[in-house]
Amino acid sequence: MTSIINILVNGLILGGIYALTSVGLSMQYGVARIFNIAHGEFIMVGAFITWMLYTSFGINPLLCLVVAGPVLFILGFIVHRYLFKTLKDKTPVPTAFEGNSMLLAFGILFIIQSLGIYLWGTQIKGYSFMAYSIYLGGIRFSANRMLILFFAVFLCVLFYLFLTRTRPGKAIRAAAQDPEAASLMGVDINKMLALCFALGAMMAGFAGVLLSMAYQLQTNMGLPYTIIAIIVVVLGGLGSIPGSMLGGFILGIIGSIVNTIDPGLTLAAYYLLFMILLLVRPSGILGR
Amino acid sequence: MLEVNTLNVSYGNVQVLWDVCLKVDEGEIVALVGANGAGKTTLLNAIAGLVKPASGSVTFLGEDITGYSSNAIVERGIAYLPEGGRLFPDMSVLENLEMGAYLKNSWNKRNERLEKVYEIFPLLKERRKQLAKTLSGGERQMLAMGRSLMSGPKLGMFDELSYGMAPKLVMEAFKMLETLRDNGITVFLIEQNVKQSLEIADRAYVLENGEIVSGGSCNALLESDHVRKAYLGL
Ligand SMILES: Nc1ncnc2c1ncn2[C@@H]1O[C@H](COP(=O)(O)OP(=O)(O)OP(=O)(O)O)[C@@H](O)[C@H]1O
Ligand SMILES: [Mg+2]
Repeated sequence: MTSIINILVNGLILGGIYALTSVGLSMQYGVARIFNIAHGEFIMVGAFITWMLYTSFGINPLLCLVVAGPVLFILGFIVHRYLFKTLKDKTPVPTAFEGNSMLLAFGILFIIQSLGIYLWGTQIKGYSFMAYSIYLGGIRFSANRMLILFFAVFLCVLFYLFLTRTRPGKAIRAAAQDPEAASLMGVDINKMLALCFALGAMMAGFAGVLLSMAYQLQTNMGLPYTIIAIIVVVLGGLGSIPGSMLGGFILGIIGSIVNTIDPGLTLAAYYLLFMILLLVRPSGILGR
Repeated sequence: MLEVNTLNVSYGNVQVLWDVCLKVDEGEIVALVGANGAGKTTLLNAIAGLVKPASGSVTFLGEDITGYSSNAIVERGIAYLPEGGRLFPDMSVLENLEMGAYLKNSWNKRNERLEKVYEIFPLLKERRKQLAKTLSGGERQMLAMGRSLMSGPKLGMFDELSYGMAPKLVMEAFKMLETLRDNGITVFLIEQNVKQSLEIADRAYVLENGEIVSGGSCNALLESDHVRKAYLGL
């Protein structure tokens, strides 16, 4: 019984991180039509900023959320404004833009990763923060992982409320459904696309901060997270934000179960699920 | 109020509008009629900033707005109900209306405006939580019209407002346009219902193959042989 609860909770923790890493990617694709292969690099940057601030200056990793968030928001904004926006102006055909933007994102992936290696090397990094156990109902949990779960859920809920309750959030959703009609409502589409991309990078940054508290870091960690995020986004339904959140938790729990059988099989299980999904229900759980 | 001067619009190599000139004065209801493919929607798109004209100009309240982005044009006070309504399908009725009041100045007034729209279309209030994609055709047009009023426009451009509406509703929608005019909103409308639109409008233009072929008071047009033959089937 205890072990089942442990597996589930571990799944939820992993799922929280997956959800957080995926909502940004989902929105970037759903609204800006950018299949951002470089998404994981923003996670890596968020994680390493936290590692650096904690190990060099002793800054509390939770405080790093308010540092890494804005830094990645601005980075995302600049990347969209100067790269994707320029590409979009030069590629008037939407389908051609989708393809070209993926190629551009590949370039960004390698540039950010190389800069990361230049700054932080290639060794595995990590630090210990709140590395003690807490007991809930007699079951042992590690404190930092519970903190990750709490903040992952909290940030997902906040993001969801932003999209559904606020003026810019509604404009983002409207722009995803019909950009031209949104512009007839007075929405500045270019600004909205940059905002989306920046928010996606920020959510990735948050995920990086959180996962650095309990998982190992390496400058090449970005791509595996991107791939998982892609699986989650397809699982949840392309462009569906609640779908990505749900998909993240489902994949996390599957990962946690497979992990107890053999950790080496986790990625293989994800891919298997991904392929089955593509064949059986390509529109995802909450897809249209 | 709105002046279109020798406007030319092309899609690629195909020219669709040829030297179009027209004007809409404050407080008028002006109709634009023409056959399918004449270029009516294109003209409205060009005015609203969705397509860039090859040459010519559009002036609104004395300001040259040619080539402005569509969001900048809405800000100047032009609301545009595009062909087919173009609602946000996965948003509720209420959220669609709220999007109509997206502009900063309108957003603070959205609740008063909402009440006004609900007064005009009580049905929308009943259905405010329903997703737009689940509305019937006529309800969608109502919502599209309500949404275009949420920005508090000075000029409303309606592309086939009566599309998908039952005859009785069409009558009501046309009466609505007069109410709008009485509330200080100038109306520029495109209609398939040539007879009815000529009956409610003050003036009208006839667009054929991208050119304005006649224009003037609706009474005169209703009497002209060409309009009677080509559009009224008389
Ligand atoms: N995006 C586009 N690309 C290329 N050609 C277009 C485009 N939009 C419209 N056209 C062409 O321009 C011409 C005018 O189209 P438009 O939609 O303006 O006509 P309309 O008068 O609104 O017709 P309807 O009454 O059927 O709505 C048509 O021949 C149409 O095929
Ligand atoms: Mg048309």
